[in-house]
Amino acid sequence: MAKPRKKRTAAARNEARWAWAFILPTIIGLIILNYYPAVETVIQSFYKTGDFGMGNKWVGLANYQKVLGSQEVWQSLWNTIKYAIIEVPFGVCIALVLAVFLNKKLKGTSIFRTIFFLPMVCAPAAVAMVWRWLYNQQFGLLNNTFHTQIAWISDPNLAWISIGIIGVWSVIGYNMVLFISGLQEIPGDYYEAAEIDGATGIKQFFKITVPLLSPTTFFIVQTRLIGALTVFDLMFMVLDKTNVALKKTQSIVYLFYDYAFTKSNKGYGAAVVMVLVVFIMIVTFILQRLEKKLVFYN
Amino acid sequence: MKRILAIVLALMMVMGLTGLTAASAADFTINVNIWDSNQQAGLQAIADDWTAITGVPVKIEVIDWNSYWTLLAAGAQGGKMPDVFWTHSNTVQMYMDNDLLLKLNDYIEKDGVDMSLYYEDIVALYTRADGNIYALPKDHDTIALLYNKAIFDKYGVAYPTDDWTWEDMYEAAKKIQEAGAADGVYGMAMNTSNNQDGWYNLVYDYGGQVITDDHKGTTIGSDNGKAGMEMVRKLLTVGAPQSVVAETGTDSLFQSDKVGMITQGSWMINSFYKAEHHDDYAWACLPYADVNGNGQCDDGERWSCYNGLGWAAAFNTEHPDECASLIEYFCSVDAQKKQAELGVTMAGIKGISDEFANAFPGMDVSAFTKAESFKLYFRPYTRNTVAWEDPIQQAGGFLDAWQNPEDPALMATACENAQRIIEEAIAEE
Repeated sequence: MAKPRKKRTAAARNEARWAWAFILPTIIGLIILNYYPAVETVIQSFYKTGDFGMGNKWVGLANYQKVLGSQEVWQSLWNTIKYAIIEVPFGVCIALVLAVFLNKKLKGTSIFRTIFFLPMVCAPAAVAMVWRWLYNQQFGLLNNTFHTQIAWISDPNLAWISIGIIGVWSVIGYNMVLFISGLQEIPGDYYEAAEIDGATGIKQFFKITVPLLSPTTFFIVQTRLIGALTVFDLMFMVLDKTNVALKKTQSIVYLFYDYAFTKSNKGYGAAVVMVLVVFIMIVTFILQRLEKKLVFYN
Repeated sequence: MKRILAIVLALMMVMGLTGLTAASAADFTINVNIWDSNQQAGLQAIADDWTAITGVPVKIEVIDWNSYWTLLAAGAQGGKMPDVFWTHSNTVQMYMDNDLLLKLNDYIEKDGVDMSLYYEDIVALYTRADGNIYALPKDHDTIALLYNKAIFDKYGVAYPTDDWTWEDMYEAAKKIQEAGAADGVYGMAMNTSNNQDGWYNLVYDYGGQVITDDHKGTTIGSDNGKAGMEMVRKLLTVGAPQSVVAETGTDSLFQSDKVGMITQGSWMINSFYKAEHHDDYAWACLPYADVNGNGQCDDGERWSCYNGLGWAAAFNTEHPDECASLIEYFCSVDAQKKQAELGVTMAGIKGISDEFANAFPGMDVSAFTKAESFKLYFRPYTRNTVAWEDPIQQAGGFLDAWQNPEDPALMATACENAQRIIEEAIAEE
């Protein structure tokens, strides 16, 4: 016996059509600008690309063999991890402390919130240019104010920390705003009850604030981690290509840009960036596992 | 549904009408891309002269050197290149081989452009093997020595002369470096990236070649190449450290009165002419290498790098006739003379140098025009120049030697590494 087909009403069909109309621009954008290039990148990593996208030669896994055996690629992956190790923890902790202080109803909190958020509004290229001058060894503001001779961005052992500092500075405002909104969702009753029981401010912070904020914290850590692993503009704009600290500071996306666009070797560049994609997938997988253990949802 | 159809049809009609009226008036603009902001004002003046004749406006946009090529390549692949733009020896072969430039032969023949007026090497560069011409020579440039008279006076060192050898330069820089140490003043400054305007010239003076004449090899790792780089190493011991020039460019250091001498190209004159202390600056001929030790400059002991940009049009420009006309105008005798008079660059046409030498009242730039009596070598290029040009400036190439100029062995090793890097890159082309 044939199953009777469910007929949708005209209203339901109309609603569906409007739903499609609203979703379609974003979906088309996603497909054209995100999914198609991603698939193209994977495909191109198996070719030796010719000039201007013409005359590509199939080389199979040769690019990957070169990438996996290349000291340069692993060094830049390690550089990227080092940068993420500075940007994510410091960015989250400092922003959390600031958010707790700025969540109280004191005079001037809105001014401070604005000041701390301003770095997010500045163009990344402008931020990099100003910090580049601040860090200049001979003429920069830092060395001239503190009368030091520190090679902030030319010392291979120091440059990655200097770039990390710029990263933390830029991202504190964004994290702080998210934390403030998360804090405002915590009912004040918990704090009142804790005070009645005699808990100090710090104990309240670790026993109430941190656990109840964990969904927000998890979201911030996850997004900032992926953002930090794809850093490029800071290294590109702050370090000259003849900077002696470059090899110990360049990120993997910087390496990708160098090979794909400066040297026009898009096949090799695509293979380089696939290493990053796999790494981010592993990191995200681990984070998702940790979510079940560390995050308290009401 | 009917309403939507009606609105769409009405819009199409309106657009069609405006399309018709657009075709009859010259309301399109020729888009020109260049990478040197120093030249923008002068070139716009020349372009405006052409606009006065033809009625077609020209818009010149400056994109910095690094981004220029990335954007042009992206445009070549994506289909939207600027109408008219500069070509450079680094990449023009790739563009010509892939038919991305407008073929100019018919226009040259029709308008009677005399190709013999131009420097032959530059014409050859922009002519494909099958005889098709894809760009007209825009200019040529040479290299000279720039020095700060105030610093030389302060430390009691005699000014550079046109008979200086690199050893003389070393001695002078040494005096300045030692006397100026307390003030943070260096004798000279040169980064690995100062190739065309810097250490390339020493390689050739000592008999080496960064790229051989057939553009398929190099002799930088040979004894001659190593001799040239050894002289560079000596100069670096009396110059600013590499970390300093990497963070603050040689030009900025010089304009901050921190360096006694640098070598620079004629395309940078404007920048120093307009600087705050331009009265202290002077140009001398590029030093030579007295290889045979006879105390005078013999043939082959003094070289200067020269380069010639080209004006080209995109193969798919919507206005090929206007683009070709603009290119021919830029490269005509009158416009080239004006380009030299305005001090933009030296001409791509032979024999118009005097106008340029007089283009900077108060600053004697004859050192650049005198360079034309030296031996000139074209800026070293291969099919994909950047593939080796950047790596030899970085770690694994000459950057290692620049870190410690006191050690001659590092420089010799760097020469061998550079030889290997260049040969490997050429093999990949």
